[in-house]
Amino acid sequence: MSQIINISSSQLLLALVFILIAQASSFIYHLGLNRDITIGTIRTFAQLFLMGYVLTFILKSSNPFLVMSVFMVMVVSAMFIIKGRVKEKQIPYIIPTFLTMLVSYLATALFVSGLVIGITPWWEPRYFIPAGGMVIGNSMSALAISLERMFRDMRQQKELVEMKLSLGANYREASLDIFRNAVTAGMIPSINAMMGVGLVFIPGMMSGQILAGTDPLIAIRYQIVVMLMLVGSTAVSSVIVMLFVRRRCFGSGEEVLLTPR
Amino acid sequence: MVINPYMAPLLEIRNLSFAYEGSTALVFDRLNVVVQEGEFVLVKGPSGSGKSTLLRLICRLNKPQGGSILFQGNDTTTIAPAKLRSAVSYVAQIPQMIDASVEENLLLPFSFAINAGKTRPGTEELREMLSKFYLGDVRPDQSAMKLSIGQKQRLAIMRALLQKPLLLLLDEPTSALDQESAAMVFSIMERLNTEEHKTLITVTHIDYKPETVRPLTYTLAHQTLHLHESDH
Repeated sequence: MSQIINISSSQLLLALVFILIAQASSFIYHLGLNRDITIGTIRTFAQLFLMGYVLTFILKSSNPFLVMSVFMVMVVSAMFIIKGRVKEKQIPYIIPTFLTMLVSYLATALFVSGLVIGITPWWEPRYFIPAGGMVIGNSMSALAISLERMFRDMRQQKELVEMKLSLGANYREASLDIFRNAVTAGMIPSINAMMGVGLVFIPGMMSGQILAGTDPLIAIRYQIVVMLMLVGSTAVSSVIVMLFVRRRCFGSGEEVLLTPR
Repeated sequence: MVINPYMAPLLEIRNLSFAYEGSTALVFDRLNVVVQEGEFVLVKGPSGSGKSTLLRLICRLNKPQGGSILFQGNDTTTIAPAKLRSAVSYVAQIPQMIDASVEENLLLPFSFAINAGKTRPGTEELREMLSKFYLGDVRPDQSAMKLSIGQKQRLAIMRALLQKPLLLLLDEPTSALDQESAAMVFSIMERLNTEEHKTLITVTHIDYKPETVRPLTYTLAHQTLHLHESDH
C-alpha cells in the first residue's frame, strides 16, 4: 500500500475555493444562502477539528466510561437536531424518542462491534464510536422524517381517523395507514442507499478507508456490514418510536388529541 | 347500589361541563339529559352553540371537564372506546370515505376487531340496502370517492348502521346537502326510528319538523339543553 498523503493547512484552505463558488452562486442569483454557507463552513471546520482532537484522545484511552460518555453526547445531540426539525408542540415525543434511540443504537453498535466484527473489548473506541456515529446519524434523519410525517398526516387526516374510530376501530386500526406511511417515509432513504451503493455513489466510510490505504476488498466488507446495520437500526428505532408516539397522539378515550394548527 | 343495566336509560348525561382546550368559556355547564331506547331526539341551536361537541362527547371523541355520561347505566369511561363506539355510532357532518369501492367502504366496520363476530352482509343484501337508502343506482363496485356529497352522506349513515349500533348520533346530516338530498336523509332517519326502532340523536341548526315521528326536541342555549315547549 502506498503512503497516505497528508493534507497541509494551506491545501485545506485551497479547498475553500468550492465555498467561494457556492457563495458567488448565492450572491448572483439572490438565493439568500450566504449567511448559512458561512456558518456551515465555520461549523464544519470547528466541529470536525474538535471531533478529531476528541477522537485522538479517546482512541488512545482505554476507559469504557469515556467511550460511553461520547456515545451519550452523540445521542443527545441527535435528539436536539430532531427537536429542531420536528416542530410539534402538542404531543410530547422527546422522551420516548430519546430512550428508544439510546437503547436501539447501543444494541446495534454492540452487535456490530462485538459479534459481527468481533472486537474485544466490545467498546473498543476505534470501532464502537464510528459504528455508533453512523447508526445515530442515519437513523436520526429517518426519525425526523417519520415523526414529521406522522404528526402532519394525523392532523390532515383527523376526520378520516375519527370516522374509523366511530365505526368501532381502536386507535391502532384507525391510524394504521398513517403509521405505515410514516415508517416507510423514514426508511426509504436507507433502502435507496442500498440500491445505489457502489453504482451511484461510493459511501463515505469505504472511501475514507480506501483513501487511508485499506485494501478495497476489506473496505467493502466493512461497508456491507454498515449498510445492513443502518437499515436494521433505522427500521427498529423508527417502528418503536412511532408505536410510542402514535399512542401519545390519542387520549385515554382513544380520541385524537392533535388539533389543526 | 347495583344498577340493573336493563332498567337504566339507554343514555344519561349528568352535570356535563365542557370547555375547549385553552379556553375558560364553558360550552356546557352542568348539562343533564336522559334518552330512552327508541326515542327520536332532535337537538337544535345556532351554529357554534356546541351541538356537534355534545355528540362527540357522548362517543368520547372529546373529553369533558366534568360530569359523567352513562350508557345503559355504565359510565362511558369504563367501557372500552372501541366497544362503546360500535354501540354508539357517530356520523360526522362531512361524510368521510376511504379511497375504495362502495362495498369496501360499507364493509369497513367489519375489518375492525370489535366487529369481527358480527354478520357481514353479502353483496346482494348490500344492493337491497342501497336502494332503501335511495342509492339504487349506485353499484357496490364503483368508487365511493366519485359519489356526490348527498350520496356519501346516505352511504355513511348506512355504513354506521351495518354494525348494528344501539344509538345513532347524526351530526348536522343535511347541512351540506341540497333540498332533495336532505329530504331523502330525513325520510331515512324517520324510517329507521319508526320501522327499525333505532334510537337517534340528531343535531341540526335548520328548522326541521319530522312528518312521521314525534321527536323530543331540545334547544341548546346558555350552556345547557332546554326541552322544546311543544314537547311538554
